[in-house]
Amino acid sequence: MTSPAMGNLSGYPETQALVRDVLDVWPDHEDYLARSMGARSDGQMATTEEVAAATRRLIAGRERHFAEGYKWTCDQLRQEELFFHREGRYRLATFADAEAEVYSRPEYMEPYVSGLLLTQALWYNHLGTFDMFLDRVLRPTREPFDYLEIGPGHGLAVFFAAQHPHVRSVAAWDVSATSLAETRKALDTLGVSKPVDLTEVDILSAAEPDQQYDLIVISEVLEHLEQPQTAVRFLKTALKPGGRLFVNVPINSPSPDHIYLFSTPDEVSALVEAAGLTIEASELYATQARPIEKAIKNRISVSVGLTARAA
Amino acid sequence: MNDEAILERLQEIMADVFDEDDLVVTRDTTAEDVEEWDSLSHIRLMVAIEREFNVKFTNAEIESLESVGDLVDKLKAKTS
Repeated sequence: MTSPAMGNLSGYPETQALVRDVLDVWPDHEDYLARSMGARSDGQMATTEEVAAATRRLIAGRERHFAEGYKWTCDQLRQEELFFHREGRYRLATFADAEAEVYSRPEYMEPYVSGLLLTQALWYNHLGTFDMFLDRVLRPTREPFDYLEIGPGHGLAVFFAAQHPHVRSVAAWDVSATSLAETRKALDTLGVSKPVDLTEVDILSAAEPDQQYDLIVISEVLEHLEQPQTAVRFLKTALKPGGRLFVNVPINSPSPDHIYLFSTPDEVSALVEAAGLTIEASELYATQARPIEKAIKNRISVSVGLTARAA
Repeated sequence: MNDEAILERLQEIMADVFDEDDLVVTRDTTAEDVEEWDSLSHIRLMVAIEREFNVKFTNAEIESLESVGDLVDKLKAKTS
């Protein structure tokens, strides 16, 4: 690491090690990571370090494999980015297309999912919304709460929720049994001792839930659905009165399996409000910390984090 | 179209893509010289050039065209 901007990692050994893992495989990525890290506040760096520590436990012994997956994923995303800017839309539009091209192909899913894990700490926009979740949504909670996450993936959010001193129950749903098995493996690796109820549920076709939750998290999921509005309406029925929904969704973010294009933050807010929820907070994080207005104008990916409450 | 005309149009496109109104480019300008010219904005730049000059770049061209001089030469070849 020779870039001066990487100097700010000296107090963050886990982050430094994760960055080193990637640069060993992809030295040309240094400028990108220097900019991503250099733009972070002290608070965001503290969260980065926590996420990097968890990530390194998940990839221990296979660091090179995950770093190669990250580079491969970035290469795929550049192709999607090219299509998006040429055509003004995401390449795929239906779940069936995404299933055929991505989800049903282990040779595609393996490096893709490995790569996405590393983006959580390495990409400014991903870390920004995770920091919002951890610092402004989860940790300030002072009352006992029941937690539900939709699409838990590598289980990082569940991992942090399960450690909260006031958490009463932790559950996570996914449409894919394979994904849930991966989540279970990740939670075991991370040493989560609290019981976590993992259930196969399709929120687009599920019956009214038999339990309600105080905090529901849906992060990087809505853009994978043909009808995100149906999902949010359903989640409202799964919230207790006064319960909160945390949504994280990227706009203008071409990816092999993103099929629903949100073009502005207002479209995300409108979707949540249309379900009858009241938005309490909203934060925006552009790729590489680009100024938000310019990012939206230039159709650069922006992660939208928002918290909404049920009446 | 001569070099100068291509360069002038490229400068306008780059100023717009990189949001730098007073950007000045020469044949020698590379991605190293422009702070906003990274792997992400490079793709937007190439698509904006495709539109302006009504050409299409191959993936290999997009990967390799990282100096203004190379862009001018490629555009001259594609539009002649």
